[in-house]
Amino acid sequence: METPEPKSQSSSLSSSSSPFPSPSYSERQWRPAAQRNLRNQWSKMASYRQQWLSSSSSARTHATSLVNAYLSQKYMPLMELGALKDMPDIRKKASLKLFKQQESHGSKLLSSYKEMVVVVMNMVNASKSMRCFLKGGNSSSLVQFSSTSGDVNDTGDCGGVAVFGFWSISSFERLAEELIQMFKLELSLKRLLVSELLSLSCEVSRGNQFCWSNELYPGEFGDLKVCNLYSNETFEPVRPRLKDGKSDMPTFQGNRQPGHEILQVYITTWLAEVNIDVHRVDEIFAMIGEEIHVPLS
Amino acid sequence: METMIKKYQQKFKKAREEMSKWDDIQSRLISQFRNASSIIARLEIIQNTKNYASLNSIGGIEVAVMQKQMDSLQTILLSMRKTMEDFRAVVLSLEKLQYDGKQLVKGSSNQMNKKQLQHRIGVKPTLANCIDGLVLLHEMHLAEYLLKSSLVSALSTLALKPNSGDLGALHQLLVDQPNILSEEVKCVFDIVFAEEIC
Repeated sequence: METPEPKSQSSSLSSSSSPFPSPSYSERQWRPAAQRNLRNQWSKMASYRQQWLSSSSSARTHATSLVNAYLSQKYMPLMELGALKDMPDIRKKASLKLFKQQESHGSKLLSSYKEMVVVVMNMVNASKSMRCFLKGGNSSSLVQFSSTSGDVNDTGDCGGVAVFGFWSISSFERLAEELIQMFKLELSLKRLLVSELLSLSCEVSRGNQFCWSNELYPGEFGDLKVCNLYSNETFEPVRPRLKDGKSDMPTFQGNRQPGHEILQVYITTWLAEVNIDVHRVDEIFAMIGEEIHVPLS
Repeated sequence: METMIKKYQQKFKKAREEMSKWDDIQSRLISQFRNASSIIARLEIIQNTKNYASLNSIGGIEVAVMQKQMDSLQTILLSMRKTMEDFRAVVLSLEKLQYDGKQLVKGSSNQMNKKQLQHRIGVKPTLANCIDGLVLLHEMHLAEYLLKSSLVSALSTLALKPNSGDLGALHQLLVDQPNILSEEVKCVFDIVFAEEIC
Protein backbone atom coordinates (compact mmCIF):
# COMPACT_ATOMS: atom_id res chain seq x y z
CA MET A 1 0.00 0.00 0.00
CA GLU A 2 1.22 3.38 -0.91
CA THR A 3 0.63 5.99 1.74
CA PRO A 4 1.75 9.53 1.30
CA GLU A 5 4.42 10.47 3.75
CA PRO A 6 3.29 13.13 6.14
CA LYS A 7 5.32 16.19 5.42
CA SER A 8 6.78 17.85 8.43
CA GLN A 9 6.69 21.56 8.33
CA SER A 10 9.99 23.03 7.42
CA SER A 11 10.29 26.42 8.98
CA SER A 12 12.69 27.78 6.40
CA LEU A 13 10.36 26.78 3.57
CA SER A 14 7.30 28.27 5.22
CA SER A 15 8.95 31.57 5.98
CA SER A 16 10.26 31.93 2.44
CA SER A 17 7.15 30.88 0.59
CA SER A 18 4.39 31.99 2.89
CA PRO A 19 3.07 35.48 2.38
CA PHE A 20 1.80 35.67 5.91
CA PRO A 21 3.45 37.76 8.59
CA SER A 22 4.06 34.91 11.03
CA PRO A 23 3.72 31.17 10.40
CA SER A 24 1.69 30.42 13.50
CA TYR A 25 -0.76 33.17 12.73
CA SER A 26 -1.14 32.23 9.08
CA GLU A 27 -1.56 28.54 9.80
CA ARG A 28 -4.34 29.24 12.24
CA GLN A 29 -6.10 31.37 9.66
CA TRP A 30 -5.39 29.14 6.72
CA ARG A 31 -6.22 25.73 8.08
CA PRO A 32 -10.03 26.03 8.47
CA ALA A 33 -10.37 27.42 4.95
CA ALA A 34 -8.08 24.73 3.53
CA GLN A 35 -9.97 22.01 5.39
CA ARG A 36 -13.30 23.25 4.09
CA ASN A 37 -11.95 23.33 0.57
CA LEU A 38 -10.47 19.84 0.70
CA ARG A 39 -13.68 18.36 2.11
CA ASN A 40 -15.55 20.06 -0.66
CA GLN A 41 -13.25 18.90 -3.47
CA TRP A 42 -13.09 15.32 -2.24
CA SER A 43 -16.84 15.04 -1.81
CA LYS A 44 -17.03 16.13 -5.43
CA MET A 45 -14.44 13.52 -6.43
CA ALA A 46 -16.54 10.83 -4.73
CA SER A 47 -19.68 11.92 -6.54
CA TYR A 48 -17.83 12.07 -9.87
CA ARG A 49 -16.85 8.48 -9.31
CA GLN A 50 -20.51 7.53 -8.84
CA GLN A 51 -21.41 9.45 -12.00
CA TRP A 52 -18.75 7.55 -13.89
CA LEU A 53 -20.21 4.23 -12.71
CA SER A 54 -23.70 5.16 -13.78
CA SER A 55 -22.69 6.61 -17.17
CA SER A 56 -20.42 3.68 -17.90
CA SER A 57 -23.14 1.20 -17.10
CA SER A 58 -25.83 2.94 -19.16
CA ALA A 59 -23.34 3.23 -22.01
CA ARG A 60 -22.85 -0.52 -21.81
CA THR A 61 -26.59 -1.09 -22.03
CA HIS A 62 -26.77 1.11 -25.14
CA ALA A 63 -23.73 -0.62 -26.61
CA THR A 64 -25.32 -4.03 -26.10
CA SER A 65 -28.57 -2.93 -27.75
CA LEU A 66 -26.63 -1.40 -30.60
CA VAL A 67 -24.71 -4.63 -31.14
CA ASN A 68 -27.92 -6.67 -31.05
CA ALA A 69 -29.61 -4.44 -33.61
CA TYR A 70 -26.54 -4.66 -35.84
CA LEU A 71 -26.28 -8.45 -35.58
CA SER A 72 -29.99 -8.90 -36.32
CA GLN A 73 -29.51 -6.90 -39.51
CA LYS A 74 -26.49 -8.92 -40.40
CA TYR A 75 -28.33 -12.20 -40.01
CA MET A 76 -31.55 -10.95 -41.59
CA PRO A 77 -30.96 -12.63 -44.98
CA LEU A 78 -30.58 -16.01 -43.23
CA MET A 79 -33.44 -15.56 -40.80
CA GLU A 80 -36.29 -18.04 -40.95
CA LEU A 81 -39.41 -15.92 -41.28
CA GLY A 82 -42.04 -18.65 -41.51
CA ALA A 83 -45.43 -17.37 -42.56
CA LEU A 84 -44.10 -13.83 -42.89
CA LYS A 85 -41.78 -14.67 -45.76
CA ASP A 86 -44.43 -13.93 -48.41
CA MET A 87 -44.97 -10.36 -47.29
CA PRO A 88 -43.47 -7.99 -49.84
CA ASP A 89 -40.15 -6.43 -48.90
CA ILE A 90 -40.40 -7.83 -45.40
CA ARG A 91 -36.65 -8.29 -44.99
CA LYS A 92 -35.90 -4.87 -46.36
CA LYS A 93 -38.41 -3.20 -44.06
CA ALA A 94 -37.21 -5.11 -41.03
CA SER A 95 -33.61 -4.24 -41.81
CA LEU A 96 -34.44 -0.58 -42.15
CA LYS A 97 -36.19 -0.60 -38.82
CA LEU A 98 -33.23 -2.32 -37.18
CA PHE A 99 -30.91 0.19 -38.77
CA LYS A 100 -32.93 3.04 -37.25
CA GLN A 101 -32.75 1.32 -33.87
CA GLN A 102 -29.02 0.90 -34.22
CA GLU A 103 -28.68 4.61 -34.95
CA SER A 104 -30.73 5.60 -31.95
CA HIS A 105 -28.74 3.35 -29.61
CA GLY A 106 -25.62 4.82 -31.15
CA SER A 107 -26.60 8.35 -30.30
CA LYS A 108 -27.44 7.30 -26.73
CA LEU A 109 -24.07 5.59 -26.48
CA LEU A 110 -22.40 8.76 -27.68
CA SER A 111 -24.13 10.91 -25.10
CA SER A 112 -23.14 8.50 -22.33
CA TYR A 113 -19.57 8.72 -23.58
CA LYS A 114 -19.83 12.49 -23.48
CA GLU A 115 -20.97 12.29 -19.85
CA MET A 116 -17.90 10.23 -19.07
CA VAL A 117 -15.64 12.81 -20.68
CA VAL A 118 -17.30 15.48 -18.53
CA VAL A 119 -16.76 13.36 -15.41
CA VAL A 120 -13.03 13.10 -16.07
CA MET A 121 -12.84 16.83 -16.84
CA ASN A 122 -14.53 17.57 -13.53
CA MET A 123 -12.13 15.28 -11.72
CA VAL A 124 -9.18 17.07 -13.30
CA ASN A 125 -10.60 20.43 -12.29
CA ALA A 126 -11.25 19.31 -8.74
CA SER A 127 -7.70 18.01 -8.45
CA LYS A 128 -6.41 21.39 -9.56
CA SER A 129 -8.48 23.18 -6.92
CA MET A 130 -7.08 21.51 -3.84
CA ARG A 131 -4.85 24.43 -2.84
CA CYS A 132 -6.05 27.34 -0.81
CA PHE A 133 -4.57 30.81 -1.47
CA LEU A 134 -4.75 34.03 0.47
CA LYS A 135 -6.99 36.48 -1.31
CA GLY A 136 -5.70 39.98 -1.91
CA GLY A 137 -2.37 39.46 -0.17
CA ASN A 138 -1.79 40.23 3.48
CA SER A 139 -2.46 43.90 3.12
CA SER A 140 -6.22 43.73 3.48
CA SER A 141 -7.54 43.69 7.02
CA LEU A 142 -10.04 40.89 6.37
CA VAL A 143 -8.32 37.54 5.77
CA GLN A 144 -9.97 35.65 2.93
CA PHE A 145 -8.97 32.64 0.92
CA SER A 146 -9.64 31.51 -2.60
CA SER A 147 -8.75 28.65 -4.90
CA THR A 148 -6.80 30.84 -7.30
CA SER A 149 -3.43 32.31 -6.60
CA GLY A 150 -3.06 36.07 -6.37
CA ASP A 151 0.53 36.04 -5.31
CA VAL A 152 3.36 34.13 -7.00
CA ASN A 153 4.95 33.48 -3.61
CA ASP A 154 1.82 31.89 -2.26
CA THR A 155 1.92 28.14 -3.02
CA GLY A 156 -1.49 27.60 -1.47
CA ASP A 157 -0.30 24.80 0.77
CA CYS A 158 0.87 26.94 3.69
CA GLY A 159 4.41 25.70 3.27
CA GLY A 160 3.43 22.03 3.19
CA VAL A 161 1.93 21.78 6.67
CA ALA A 162 -0.50 19.00 7.50
CA VAL A 163 -4.04 20.16 6.75
CA PHE A 164 -5.86 17.74 9.01
CA GLY A 165 -3.90 15.13 10.92
CA PHE A 166 -1.00 14.08 8.76
CA TRP A 167 -1.16 15.02 5.12
CA SER A 168 -0.08 18.12 3.29
CA ILE A 169 -1.95 19.48 0.29
CA SER A 170 0.46 17.77 -2.07
CA SER A 171 -0.31 14.37 -0.54
CA PHE A 172 -3.96 14.92 -1.37
CA GLU A 173 -3.01 16.02 -4.86
CA ARG A 174 -0.89 12.94 -5.40
CA LEU A 175 -3.77 10.61 -4.55
CA ALA A 176 -6.13 12.59 -6.78
CA GLU A 177 -3.60 12.28 -9.58
CA GLU A 178 -3.40 8.52 -9.08
CA LEU A 179 -7.18 8.23 -9.33
CA ILE A 180 -7.43 10.45 -12.37
CA GLN A 181 -4.75 8.50 -14.16
CA MET A 182 -6.89 5.36 -14.00
CA PHE A 183 -10.00 7.12 -15.27
CA LYS A 184 -8.09 8.86 -18.05
CA LEU A 185 -6.64 5.61 -19.38
CA GLU A 186 -10.06 4.02 -19.23
CA LEU A 187 -11.69 6.94 -21.00
CA SER A 188 -9.18 6.65 -23.79
CA LEU A 189 -9.88 2.92 -24.17
CA LYS A 190 -13.61 3.57 -24.13
CA ARG A 191 -13.21 6.18 -26.84
CA LEU A 192 -11.75 3.50 -29.08
CA LEU A 193 -14.66 1.18 -28.29
CA VAL A 194 -17.21 3.92 -28.95
CA SER A 195 -15.68 4.78 -32.30
CA GLU A 196 -15.57 1.09 -33.27
CA LEU A 197 -19.18 0.53 -32.25
CA LEU A 198 -20.43 3.64 -34.01
CA SER A 199 -18.66 2.51 -37.18
CA LEU A 200 -20.57 -0.77 -37.35
CA SER A 201 -22.48 -0.97 -40.55
CA CYS A 202 -24.05 -3.70 -42.62
CA GLU A 203 -23.79 -1.72 -45.80
CA VAL A 204 -20.71 0.12 -46.86
CA SER A 205 -22.74 3.04 -48.12
CA ARG A 206 -24.57 3.57 -44.85
CA GLY A 207 -23.34 4.74 -41.50
CA ASN A 208 -20.48 6.98 -40.61
CA GLN A 209 -16.91 5.92 -40.55
CA PHE A 210 -15.43 7.21 -37.34
CA CYS A 211 -11.78 7.94 -37.55
CA TRP A 212 -9.55 8.25 -34.48
CA SER A 213 -8.42 11.71 -35.46
CA ASN A 214 -11.97 13.04 -35.91
CA GLU A 215 -14.10 14.43 -33.12
CA LEU A 216 -16.87 12.08 -31.96
CA TYR A 217 -18.95 15.10 -30.97
CA PRO A 218 -18.41 18.81 -31.55
CA GLY A 219 -16.00 20.22 -28.99
CA GLU A 220 -14.66 16.83 -27.94
CA PHE A 221 -11.03 17.76 -28.51
CA GLY A 222 -11.35 20.81 -26.29
CA ASP A 223 -12.65 18.55 -23.53
CA LEU A 224 -9.90 16.01 -24.11
CA LYS A 225 -7.29 18.76 -23.89
CA VAL A 226 -8.54 19.60 -20.40
CA CYS A 227 -8.00 15.95 -19.49
CA ASN A 228 -4.57 16.00 -21.10
CA LEU A 229 -5.77 13.32 -23.51
CA TYR A 230 -5.08 15.24 -26.69
CA SER A 231 -1.64 15.26 -28.21
CA ASN A 232 -0.46 18.60 -29.53
CA GLU A 233 2.29 16.82 -31.43
CA THR A 234 0.25 14.38 -33.48
CA PHE A 235 -2.89 16.54 -33.43
CA GLU A 236 -5.14 13.70 -32.42
CA PRO A 237 -6.35 12.17 -29.18
CA VAL A 238 -3.76 10.24 -27.18
CA ARG A 239 -3.80 6.61 -28.26
CA PRO A 240 -5.27 4.15 -25.75
CA ARG A 241 -2.82 2.12 -23.72
CA LEU A 242 -2.72 0.26 -20.45
CA LYS A 243 -0.90 1.51 -17.39
CA ASP A 244 2.81 0.84 -17.97
CA GLY A 245 1.85 -0.45 -21.37
CA LYS A 246 2.25 1.04 -24.78
CA SER A 247 0.18 1.45 -27.85
CA ASP A 248 1.51 -0.04 -31.05
CA MET A 249 -0.16 2.63 -33.13
CA PRO A 250 -1.15 0.55 -36.10
CA THR A 251 -3.62 2.07 -38.47
CA PHE A 252 -7.00 2.12 -36.81
CA GLN A 253 -8.70 1.13 -39.98
CA GLY A 254 -11.23 -0.92 -38.05
CA ASN A 255 -13.26 -3.82 -39.26
CA ARG A 256 -16.65 -2.46 -40.21
CA GLN A 257 -18.38 -5.81 -40.20
CA PRO A 258 -16.98 -7.76 -37.27
CA GLY A 259 -18.65 -10.98 -36.15
CA HIS A 260 -20.39 -11.55 -32.87
CA GLU A 261 -17.25 -12.86 -31.17
CA ILE A 262 -15.36 -9.62 -31.71
CA LEU A 263 -18.38 -7.65 -30.56
CA GLN A 264 -18.64 -9.78 -27.46
CA VAL A 265 -15.00 -9.00 -26.70
CA TYR A 266 -15.76 -5.29 -27.16
CA ILE A 267 -18.67 -5.41 -24.74
CA THR A 268 -16.67 -7.46 -22.25
CA THR A 269 -13.80 -5.01 -22.49
CA TRP A 270 -16.23 -2.19 -21.82
CA LEU A 271 -17.49 -4.03 -18.76
CA ALA A 272 -14.10 -5.05 -17.43
CA GLU A 273 -12.74 -1.48 -16.97
CA VAL A 274 -9.23 -2.90 -17.06
CA ASN A 275 -7.59 0.41 -16.20
CA ILE A 276 -9.57 0.99 -13.04
CA ASP A 277 -8.34 -0.93 -10.02
CA VAL A 278 -11.55 -0.89 -7.98
CA HIS A 279 -9.82 -2.02 -4.80
CA ARG A 280 -7.25 0.74 -5.01
CA VAL A 281 -9.97 3.32 -5.75
CA ASP A 282 -11.94 2.17 -2.71
CA GLU A 283 -8.79 2.26 -0.64
CA ILE A 284 -7.95 5.81 -1.71
CA PHE A 285 -11.41 7.10 -0.89
CA ALA A 286 -11.36 5.26 2.44
CA MET A 287 -7.98 6.75 3.38
CA ILE A 288 -8.98 10.24 2.36
CA GLY A 289 -12.34 9.91 4.10
CA GLU A 290 -10.60 8.98 7.30
CA GLU A 291 -8.12 11.83 7.03
CA ILE A 292 -10.74 14.51 6.35
CA HIS A 293 -13.32 12.96 8.69
CA VAL A 294 -15.98 12.66 6.00
CA PRO A 295 -17.11 9.24 4.84
CA LEU A 296 -16.69 9.18 1.05
CA SER A 297 -18.05 5.81 0.04
CA MET B 1 -53.46 -33.33 23.48
CA GLU B 2 -54.74 -30.12 21.98
CA THR B 3 -51.98 -28.09 23.56
CA MET B 4 -49.51 -30.52 22.05
CA ILE B 5 -50.97 -29.92 18.61
CA LYS B 6 -50.70 -26.17 19.18
CA LYS B 7 -47.02 -26.56 20.00
CA TYR B 8 -46.49 -28.49 16.80
CA GLN B 9 -48.31 -25.88 14.79
CA GLN B 10 -45.92 -23.30 16.22
CA LYS B 11 -43.05 -25.39 14.91
CA PHE B 12 -44.59 -25.56 11.48
CA LYS B 13 -44.95 -21.78 11.43
CA LYS B 14 -41.28 -21.53 12.24
CA ALA B 15 -40.54 -24.04 9.46
CA ARG B 16 -42.53 -21.94 7.01
CA GLU B 17 -40.43 -18.88 7.90
CA GLU B 18 -37.28 -20.88 7.34
CA MET B 19 -38.56 -22.03 3.98
CA SER B 20 -39.32 -18.50 2.88
CA LYS B 21 -35.73 -17.63 3.80
CA TRP B 22 -34.73 -20.57 1.61
CA ASP B 23 -36.62 -19.04 -1.33
CA ASP B 24 -34.80 -15.72 -0.96
CA ILE B 25 -31.46 -17.50 -0.82
CA GLN B 26 -32.47 -19.54 -3.86
CA SER B 27 -33.11 -16.45 -6.00
CA ARG B 28 -29.77 -15.00 -4.89
CA LEU B 29 -28.01 -18.22 -5.85
CA ILE B 30 -29.68 -18.26 -9.28
CA SER B 31 -28.61 -14.74 -10.10
CA GLN B 32 -25.05 -15.45 -8.92
CA PHE B 33 -25.04 -18.56 -11.04
CA ARG B 34 -26.20 -16.64 -14.11
CA ASN B 35 -23.46 -14.06 -13.66
CA ALA B 36 -20.82 -16.73 -13.18
CA SER B 37 -21.93 -18.78 -16.16
CA SER B 38 -22.03 -15.80 -18.50
CA ILE B 39 -18.40 -15.13 -17.64
CA ILE B 40 -17.45 -18.79 -18.01
CA ALA B 41 -19.26 -18.99 -21.34
CA ARG B 42 -17.16 -16.21 -22.83
CA LEU B 43 -13.77 -17.19 -21.42
CA GLU B 44 -12.83 -18.99 -24.61
CA ILE B 45 -13.71 -16.03 -26.81
CA ILE B 46 -11.84 -13.51 -24.72
CA GLN B 47 -8.70 -15.62 -24.67
CA ASN B 48 -8.40 -15.49 -28.42
CA THR B 49 -6.37 -12.45 -29.55
CA LYS B 50 -7.97 -12.64 -32.97
CA ASN B 51 -11.26 -11.49 -31.44
CA TYR B 52 -9.74 -8.27 -30.18
CA ALA B 53 -9.56 -6.75 -33.67
CA SER B 54 -8.74 -3.04 -33.26
CA LEU B 55 -8.12 -3.44 -29.56
CA ASN B 56 -4.95 -5.34 -30.41
CA SER B 57 -3.22 -2.00 -30.81
CA ILE B 58 -3.27 -1.81 -27.01
CA GLY B 59 -0.43 -3.95 -25.77
CA GLY B 60 -1.48 -6.57 -23.22
CA ILE B 61 -5.19 -5.91 -23.53
CA GLU B 62 -6.27 -9.54 -23.75
CA VAL B 63 -4.30 -10.46 -20.64
CA ALA B 64 -5.81 -7.53 -18.75
CA VAL B 65 -9.40 -8.32 -19.80
CA MET B 66 -8.94 -11.99 -18.98
CA GLN B 67 -7.47 -11.13 -15.59
CA LYS B 68 -10.38 -8.83 -14.73
CA GLN B 69 -12.92 -11.45 -15.76
CA MET B 70 -11.21 -14.13 -13.71
CA ASP B 71 -11.19 -11.78 -10.72
CA SER B 72 -14.92 -11.18 -11.11
CA LEU B 73 -15.55 -14.89 -11.49
CA GLN B 74 -13.54 -15.57 -8.35
CA THR B 75 -15.59 -13.01 -6.43
CA ILE B 76 -18.86 -14.53 -7.62
CA LEU B 77 -17.75 -18.06 -6.75
CA LEU B 78 -16.79 -16.85 -3.29
CA SER B 79 -20.18 -15.26 -2.73
CA MET B 80 -21.85 -18.44 -3.95
CA ARG B 81 -20.00 -20.29 -1.24
CA LYS B 82 -21.40 -17.80 1.28
CA THR B 83 -24.86 -18.39 -0.15
CA MET B 84 -24.39 -22.11 0.42
CA GLU B 85 -23.63 -21.35 4.07
CA ASP B 86 -26.99 -19.61 4.31
CA PHE B 87 -28.74 -22.66 2.88
CA ARG B 88 -26.95 -24.77 5.47
CA ALA B 89 -28.25 -22.56 8.26
CA VAL B 90 -31.83 -23.16 7.07
CA VAL B 91 -31.22 -26.92 6.93
CA LEU B 92 -29.85 -26.83 10.48
CA SER B 93 -32.92 -24.95 11.73
CA LEU B 94 -35.19 -27.50 10.09
CA GLU B 95 -33.14 -30.27 11.63
CA LYS B 96 -33.58 -28.77 15.06
CA LEU B 97 -37.33 -28.41 14.50
CA GLN B 98 -37.77 -32.06 13.61
CA TYR B 99 -35.55 -33.13 16.53
CA ASP B 100 -37.55 -31.00 18.96
CA GLY B 101 -40.72 -32.41 17.40
CA LYS B 102 -39.65 -35.94 18.23
CA GLN B 103 -38.59 -34.94 21.76
CA LEU B 104 -41.95 -33.34 22.42
CA VAL B 105 -43.78 -36.69 22.50
CA LYS B 106 -40.97 -38.55 24.22
CA GLY B 107 -40.76 -35.94 26.94
CA SER B 108 -44.45 -35.94 27.84
CA SER B 109 -45.29 -37.49 31.23
CA ASN B 110 -46.97 -40.62 29.95
CA GLN B 111 -45.25 -42.33 27.05
CA MET B 112 -47.54 -42.23 24.05
CA ASN B 113 -48.39 -45.45 22.35
CA LYS B 114 -48.89 -45.86 18.66
CA LYS B 115 -52.64 -45.52 18.97
CA GLN B 116 -52.40 -42.18 20.74
CA LEU B 117 -50.05 -40.87 18.08
CA GLN B 118 -52.59 -41.78 15.41
CA HIS B 119 -55.52 -40.36 17.38
CA ARG B 120 -57.38 -37.70 15.47
CA ILE B 121 -59.67 -35.01 16.88
CA GLY B 122 -61.91 -33.45 14.23
CA VAL B 123 -59.91 -31.85 11.39
CA LYS B 124 -56.85 -31.47 13.59
CA PRO B 125 -53.74 -33.37 12.53
CA THR B 126 -52.56 -36.41 14.44
CA LEU B 127 -49.33 -36.18 16.39
CA ALA B 128 -47.82 -38.65 13.94
CA ASN B 129 -48.74 -36.29 11.08
CA CYS B 130 -46.86 -33.50 12.81
CA ILE B 131 -43.75 -35.50 13.59
CA ASP B 132 -43.53 -37.03 10.14
CA GLY B 133 -44.19 -33.67 8.48
CA LEU B 134 -41.27 -32.00 10.21
CA VAL B 135 -39.01 -34.94 9.37
CA LEU B 136 -40.04 -34.78 5.73
CA LEU B 137 -39.38 -31.03 5.44
CA HIS B 138 -35.93 -31.48 6.90
CA GLU B 139 -35.08 -34.46 4.66
CA MET B 140 -36.10 -32.65 1.49
CA HIS B 141 -34.08 -29.57 2.24
CA LEU B 142 -31.08 -31.54 3.38
CA ALA B 143 -31.06 -33.54 0.13
CA GLU B 144 -31.46 -30.37 -1.90
CA TYR B 145 -28.66 -28.68 -0.01
CA LEU B 146 -26.33 -31.58 -0.79
CA LEU B 147 -27.29 -31.46 -4.45
CA LYS B 148 -26.68 -27.71 -4.66
CA SER B 149 -23.29 -28.07 -2.97
CA SER B 150 -22.19 -30.52 -5.61
CA LEU B 151 -23.55 -28.30 -8.41
CA VAL B 152 -21.67 -25.30 -7.09
CA SER B 153 -18.41 -27.21 -6.96
CA ALA B 154 -19.08 -28.55 -10.44
CA LEU B 155 -19.36 -24.95 -11.61
CA SER B 156 -15.87 -24.16 -10.33
CA THR B 157 -14.54 -27.12 -12.29
CA LEU B 158 -16.39 -26.05 -15.41
CA ALA B 159 -14.65 -22.69 -15.23
CA LEU B 160 -11.48 -24.48 -16.30
CA LYS B 161 -12.96 -26.22 -19.33
CA PRO B 162 -16.26 -24.62 -20.24
CA ASN B 163 -19.00 -26.47 -22.05
CA SER B 164 -22.18 -24.53 -22.63
CA GLY B 165 -24.36 -27.64 -22.58
CA ASP B 166 -23.17 -28.52 -19.09
CA LEU B 167 -23.75 -24.98 -17.90
CA GLY B 168 -27.35 -25.13 -19.09
CA ALA B 169 -27.92 -28.46 -17.36
CA LEU B 170 -26.50 -27.18 -14.07
CA HIS B 171 -28.69 -24.12 -14.29
CA GLN B 172 -31.80 -26.22 -14.90
CA LEU B 173 -31.06 -28.43 -11.89
CA LEU B 174 -30.49 -25.42 -9.67
CA VAL B 175 -33.79 -23.88 -10.72
CA ASP B 176 -35.81 -27.10 -10.51
CA GLN B 177 -34.81 -28.07 -6.96
CA PRO B 178 -35.78 -31.70 -7.65
CA ASN B 179 -35.63 -32.74 -4.00
CA ILE B 180 -38.19 -30.24 -2.82
CA LEU B 181 -41.58 -31.40 -4.02
CA SER B 182 -43.86 -28.43 -3.67
CA GLU B 183 -46.98 -30.59 -3.88
CA GLU B 184 -45.86 -32.67 -0.92
CA VAL B 185 -44.86 -29.60 1.05
CA LYS B 186 -48.28 -28.08 0.44
CA CYS B 187 -49.94 -31.32 1.50
CA VAL B 188 -48.04 -31.39 4.81
CA PHE B 189 -49.08 -27.84 5.63
CA ASP B 190 -52.67 -28.47 4.56
CA ILE B 191 -52.97 -31.33 7.02
CA VAL B 192 -51.32 -29.47 9.88
CA PHE B 193 -53.37 -26.32 9.39
CA ALA B 194 -56.57 -27.99 8.15
CA GLU B 195 -58.75 -26.08 10.63
CA GLU B 196 -57.52 -22.74 9.27
CA ILE B 197 -58.44 -23.74 5.74
CA CYS B 198 -62.00 -24.76 6.65
